[in-house]
Amino acid sequence: MTATAPAAPGPVARPARAPRSPWLPVALVLVVAATWWAADGIGFDVVELIASLGRANRIVSEAFPPNWGFVDQTIRPLIETFQMAVIATVIGCGIGLPVAMLASGISNPNRPLLWIDRSVLAVVRAVPDIMYALIFVSALSVGPLPGVLALILFNIGVIGKLLSETIDGIDPGPLEAATAAGGSRLLVNRWAVLPQVLPNYVAYALYSFELNIRASAVIGLVGAGGLGQLLQTQRRFFHYDNQLMIIVELFALVVVIEMISVWLRRRLV
Amino acid sequence: MTASVSQRPRRPAALGRNLAFLGVLLLLVVVVATIDLKLARLVDLPGQLASILGKMLLSPDTPYFGDAAALMVQSIQIAWIGTIMGAILSLPLGFLGAKNVTGGLMANGMRQLLNAIRAFPEIVLAIVFVAMIGLGPFAGTLAIGIHSIGTLGKLTAEVIEGIDPGPVEAARATGANQVQTLRWGVFPQVAPEIVAFWLYRFEINVRASAILGIVGAGGIGEALSQALVYRRYERAGMLIIVVVAATILIDVASGWLRRRIIEGGTKRGGTARRQPELIEVDPNVA
Repeated sequence: MTATAPAAPGPVARPARAPRSPWLPVALVLVVAATWWAADGIGFDVVELIASLGRANRIVSEAFPPNWGFVDQTIRPLIETFQMAVIATVIGCGIGLPVAMLASGISNPNRPLLWIDRSVLAVVRAVPDIMYALIFVSALSVGPLPGVLALILFNIGVIGKLLSETIDGIDPGPLEAATAAGGSRLLVNRWAVLPQVLPNYVAYALYSFELNIRASAVIGLVGAGGLGQLLQTQRRFFHYDNQLMIIVELFALVVVIEMISVWLRRRLV
Repeated sequence: MTASVSQRPRRPAALGRNLAFLGVLLLLVVVVATIDLKLARLVDLPGQLASILGKMLLSPDTPYFGDAAALMVQSIQIAWIGTIMGAILSLPLGFLGAKNVTGGLMANGMRQLLNAIRAFPEIVLAIVFVAMIGLGPFAGTLAIGIHSIGTLGKLTAEVIEGIDPGPVEAARATGANQVQTLRWGVFPQVAPEIVAFWLYRFEINVRASAILGIVGAGGIGEALSQALVYRRYERAGMLIIVVVAATILIDVASGWLRRRIIEGGTKRGGTARRQPELIEVDPNVA
C-alpha cells in the first residue's frame, strides 16, 4: 500500500464525538445523592472507620497465630459440612431436574403448569438459604438435618433456574424427531431433551455442590450443623484464635473444592 | 435402491456415564450411612412447618411493618455503600488483572488475589469485622465491600479480556500513551457491561446485607434471627415479607436499568454476551 498513492488526501476532519447521553449527569447526581443518603443512614465515617480499625489491635493479636491445635476438634464438623453438601446436592439436583423441565416452555407445553412452576421457583429463589436454615432450625431444632433441608431448597432454586434456561436454548430437531416417532411428552423429554442438556446439568450440579460447601459452612451459624455451628460456639466464647483456625480451614476448603469443580467442569462442557 | 429396513442405530456407549452415576450413588450411600441426621425428627416437620408458616404468612405482625421497613432500609444502605466501595476499588484491580492490559505475572497475581478475596463468604468477613470494629452496620458494610471487590474485580478483568482489540490498536496508532489507550480504546467498550455488573452486584448485596445482622453486622437480619429464635413467628413473618418484597422490587428495578444500559450501550451487533442471571455463576458454566 505504499506505492501509487492517489492525490494526497487533505487532513481528515476529526470525527464528531458521539453525543453524550442526557441521562448521564442525571444518573451521576442520583448516585451521589443515594450514596450520601446511605452513608448518612448507617453513620458511615471514614475517619471513625480507620480509628476503629486501629483499635482492633488487641483482637488481631489474640487471633494470631490461629490455634493449630484446635484442628482435631474441627475434623468432625468439617466432615459434616461435606456430608451435608453431598446429600443436599444429590437430592436437590434430583428434584431440580423435573422442576427445571416444568419451567421451560420447550419441555413443558402446558401453560398453567409452566406458570405455576415458574412462580414457585421465583419465590424459592427470593428467600436466602440462611433464612430457610433459621426456619428449619426453629421447626426441627439444632443439627445438620435442618441444614440439609435448607440446602435442598436452595439447590432446587439454582438448578431450576439454570437448567430451565439451558433447555430454552436447545436444538428443537431431536424433539421433533422423537415426537414424529410417536414419543409421549415424557419419552420426548427423556430421549430428546435430557441428552442435550446432560453435560450442562452435571456442570450445574457440580457448581451447586461448590455453592453448598460454602453455604453449609455458613448456615451452621444459625445452628444448622457443620463448620458454621462450630464457628458460632467459638464466637460465643470469644476464642479468636480458634475462630481464625476455622476461617482458615473454611478458606482452604472453598478454594480446593472450587479448583476441583472448575477442572471437572472444563472437562465436561 | 432396494428398499431395506434401516437398522436401528447403535446406542452410544454409556459406560463412563454409568460408572459416574454409580460412583455418586455410592458416595451418597456412604455419606448417609455415616452422618447422624436424626431423621426421626422429620415426622414432626409437616406439622411444625404448617404451624410456623401459618403464623408467619397468615397473621404477620402488621403494626411492626414500620420498624421492619426501617431495618430493611438500613440493609439497603449497607448494600449500597458496600457496592460503591467494591465498584471503586475493583475497577483499577480489574484493569490490572486483565491479561491484555498488564499481562503475565501482574495479571496472574492480581487474579489470584481477587480469587482469594472472593473465597471468603460475606458473613465470614462480617464475623471478622464485627470482632475487629464492633457490632453495627460498619462491619456489614466492610464485609460487603471487600467481598464485592473480589467478585467485581474478577468480572471486570474478564470483560476487559473479551474486548475487540481494534480500537486499542487504533488508539496506539495515533500515538496514545498507555493511559490514553485505556481511557479511549478499552474503557468505552467495557463501561456499559461493568456498570451493569455493579447493579447486579447491588442486587446480590441487598440479599446478603439482609442476613448479615445474624452475626451482628447491622440491618434487618438480627431482628429476623431474634424473632425466629424466640419463636415470635408473626413478627418473623412480617420481616420476611418485607425482605422478599424489597428484594424482588430492587431486582426488577435494577434488572430494567441493566437492560437499558447494556442495550443502549452495545454497538457490537447487540451481542448480549452473558445472561445477567448467569454472571455470578462463573463464566465456566455459562
